Amino acid sequence: MIPWYQNLPLWVTFFPLLGALLLLLVPKGQRRTFELGALAITVIDFLMSIPLWVQYDRSSAAVQWVTQMDWIPSLGVKFSIGMDGISLVLVLLTTLLGFISVWCSFTAITERHKEYYIWILVMQFSMMGVFITQDMFLFYLFWELMLVPMYFLIAIWGGPQRLYAAIKLFLYTLSGSVLMLVAILAIYFLQFKTTGHYDMSIASFQAMAATIAAQSHTFQILMALALFVGFAIKVPMFPFHTWLPDAHVEAPTAGSVILAGILLKMGTYGFVRFLLPIVPKATMELMPYFMGLALIGVIYGALVAMIQKDMKKLVAYSSVSHLGLCMLGLFAMNPNGITGGIFQMINHGISTSALFLLVGIVYERRHTRLIAEYGGLSKTMPVYATIFMIMTMSSIGLPGLNGFIGEFAILQGAFQAAPWLAVLATTGIVLGAAYMLWLFQRAMFGPISEVNAKMKDLSAREIAYFMPLVVAAFWIGLYPKPVMDVLRAPVIKLVQQVNPGFYKQEALEAGQRAAAKAGMAAMPMPGAKTEPEEGGN
Amino acid sequence: MPFAAGLWGALQRDLPLLFPQIILIVTATVMLWPGDMFVPKGEKRRWAYVSIFALLAAGLCVAGTPHGLGFSDMFEVDGITKGFQYLVLAAGIITILLSQLQLDAMKEQTVEYYALILFSITGMLFLVGSTDLISIYFSLELMALCIYILVAYFRTQERSIEAGVKYFLLGAFSSGILLFGISLLFAAAGGVTTNLVELNDKLALAPHSSSLLVFTGVLMVLVGFCFKVAAVPFHMWSPDAYDGAPTPITAFMSMAPKAASLAAFLRVFGTGFNGVQSDWMAPLGFVAAASMILGNIAALKQQTMKRLLAYSSIAHVGYMLLGVMSSGVPGGAQAVWLYMLTYLLMQSGAFAIVIFLQGKGEGERIEDFRGLGRTRPLLAFAMMVILLSLAGVPPLVGFFSKFFLFKLAIESGHVTLTVIALLTSAVAAYYYLAVVALMYFKEPAAETAEPRTMGAVTTWVVGLSCALVLLGTCFGAKLLSWAATIV
Repeated sequence: MIPWYQNLPLWVTFFPLLGALLLLLVPKGQRRTFELGALAITVIDFLMSIPLWVQYDRSSAAVQWVTQMDWIPSLGVKFSIGMDGISLVLVLLTTLLGFISVWCSFTAITERHKEYYIWILVMQFSMMGVFITQDMFLFYLFWELMLVPMYFLIAIWGGPQRLYAAIKLFLYTLSGSVLMLVAILAIYFLQFKTTGHYDMSIASFQAMAATIAAQSHTFQILMALALFVGFAIKVPMFPFHTWLPDAHVEAPTAGSVILAGILLKMGTYGFVRFLLPIVPKATMELMPYFMGLALIGVIYGALVAMIQKDMKKLVAYSSVSHLGLCMLGLFAMNPNGITGGIFQMINHGISTSALFLLVGIVYERRHTRLIAEYGGLSKTMPVYATIFMIMTMSSIGLPGLNGFIGEFAILQGAFQAAPWLAVLATTGIVLGAAYMLWLFQRAMFGPISEVNAKMKDLSAREIAYFMPLVVAAFWIGLYPKPVMDVLRAPVIKLVQQVNPGFYKQEALEAGQRAAAKAGMAAMPMPGAKTEPEEGGN
Repeated sequence: MPFAAGLWGALQRDLPLLFPQIILIVTATVMLWPGDMFVPKGEKRRWAYVSIFALLAAGLCVAGTPHGLGFSDMFEVDGITKGFQYLVLAAGIITILLSQLQLDAMKEQTVEYYALILFSITGMLFLVGSTDLISIYFSLELMALCIYILVAYFRTQERSIEAGVKYFLLGAFSSGILLFGISLLFAAAGGVTTNLVELNDKLALAPHSSSLLVFTGVLMVLVGFCFKVAAVPFHMWSPDAYDGAPTPITAFMSMAPKAASLAAFLRVFGTGFNGVQSDWMAPLGFVAAASMILGNIAALKQQTMKRLLAYSSIAHVGYMLLGVMSSGVPGGAQAVWLYMLTYLLMQSGAFAIVIFLQGKGEGERIEDFRGLGRTRPLLAFAMMVILLSLAGVPPLVGFFSKFFLFKLAIESGHVTLTVIALLTSAVAAYYYLAVVALMYFKEPAAETAEPRTMGAVTTWVVGLSCALVLLGTCFGAKLLSWAATIV
């Protein structure tokens, strides 16, 4: 008998879908039922995901709570799900933002409630599917499925240019993911050629790394590029980011929250789970270019954010900058950098989502997002201003708040990889502080106009849904160890897969303790370089 | 008389292979005469039931037909034959079901309509099993001639007649090319055979001096076939013919003849020209790529639903030709069959909806879908599911069959083409989504038409197709093993 919690990830994932089907049965027009129903479903889902956090075995890097069933045996496709630490934090982030995004929509959504809440629930289902699946085929299904609800959320409840933004999002992502599909299939066949049977499981794909490294140079580079483009569009990294500001500006608040908080993380998750472990050698080779794009993203995003007149656009461009930083950490390919990158995913999910919520609140009251329209809000809306400040500080990485931890670890990792990287990345952070503080100053201080003087402060409901985010921001900022613990084992495993040279180097220097690890990564890979050399590239 | 006795013996042996065709021919002939004399003028609808019954009977017969080769090796029943025969028969049944709404509204119920469909399907049943260039040509013509007439069936509408004439002229032209190609090959093979298997051997042995002859012949046959399946650059007839034809016939054309011609494609190029692959692989690759690119891009600009579906079907033919090119690897024919099956599912649902909305005749503009999400939520949902599946969005069944097809294409080394196919399918998402956007995000037009009921038939067809499209992938393993047993 499998204990009940063995299937918990399955339940957490499918519960929103069941809820959506349930809401489908409720006749139209009962606004309250839909609002409370969706809230109840997402809150229960969140509560259900907490035991995962408690039960998770932090000492092991293995995939836990594995549930596996044959699906299409002749293609080697299995319905297989499970989680490791990286999945776990992202699933928790999803369930947390899930109920917040439902809760924040109560007043913002004034029409077609039934469809709205159903789409949100389907969205949550498909996003969690992406994070917990252990099968490439299933992953691709969820990855694409998630586009449909997002498309509808933007296109029905969005701003004036919503149709354009929605289709842009859809087509951009779709073209990226078909390239990814080609790479998946190519590796799949290579695997068939070498092992003689079809297998779609992610583990078997990761095990292909050495075989791929033995293939022709062009093949490796093409595989790496195809996967890179697929994920980079989703993140989005510098030249592929143009869909993001459109989508964010047009999306309803909850849509922006989900988009920034979780959807973008699917891209970074893709890098961690697929690009790095499956084609490490080619990735290493292309690393200078990837790093370059990430750096451009950090600085360019910050500069563009600085000149925005629209609050939401400003926050959107700040996402480009923050995720560039996150990618920088991941591409540093050492434990600090990768841990920092994953931290940055979570922190960005918390602080940027909160900022989108904050923008949404004033937009609901005034129906404008132009920064010039506001000013002096701290006088009439003190609670609002406080939360705004906390989230601004979190976003710019003030020590004591969550943003700091991620940025610190990333810079540490980047410095280890190449000191100049860290130097350049720091300019991005400085610019980040500049535009966020400038935004805060223009919106919160200064003379107050007559219209703004009438604005109401946050309602109890609004305060309530901010609380989890504020608590999380402080918790991670002050005591990040629990999250670190969860991430440690998977990150070490990842670094061993990607950059075995790193531990070898460390072992040489540190001796006894790390010698065991170096033994696990005893096979040096030709492409793996030690850190100082890599910086020279 | 030993000759007569021998003939009789051969007939006795081979006739069981043709029972399905015989059922249809007899039914259609009896329907025309004397059957039609006994049916009063207003009651011609009855023939629809008779035809459906005949098609079902033929389907049962197909299931019972033994595998075998007969009629001087001109006709073979094997997995491919049976698999595609099922598809063709199903397409026929769906067409007749969908025809009712429009024929009743236009008061155009006649026996000829059904008889022509049956004859045409007979041609297709022959075509999918033909193993000789001559029998292929005959059955192709039987199939096509009936469709020419069906396209021009609304003889009072200029559009319909224009479409029929255009289709007929180009069709006749392409038949000429096909026939010329066949004769060249006949000559190149030494003037002794047109049988595909023997041809393959002969062509492989053909002297070097006749290689140009072989190449020209193969290319001409290819061109002839590409006309029939409307692949770019031989597609010019199809949007006009699709647009002008009665909508159920448009549905029919996009399903049945495509399936049958693809089966012939598989057989001719997989068996007959297998030895001279270098002659046709590159041209076919070009045709496939051009179909995917042009079909999808041209569809972006269309104003009517029928033309949109016509161009999208050109693109889908491109994907299927990619499957034909990959049919060398095990499972290649299955992939094409599976693709055709799912395509049939989606097309029947989409056309059912178009026909229903079209009501009494005139052209169906995409604009008419405006606000459907408000006025008819269930119908709009079904349309959305089908369109997304046509676009190949997972987890719908359209994705599954595409996945399987592309998998085989990569396996047989057509990586560039597969990349083109995938990228163009992202383009395709745009025009399918444009319709979805129109249904859901635009207010319905001010003058809402009088509410009409769907009718049980349309409801069933749409519902069934939508459900299968939605749930198909869950039964992916079943589908694959099913395809493996049939084809």
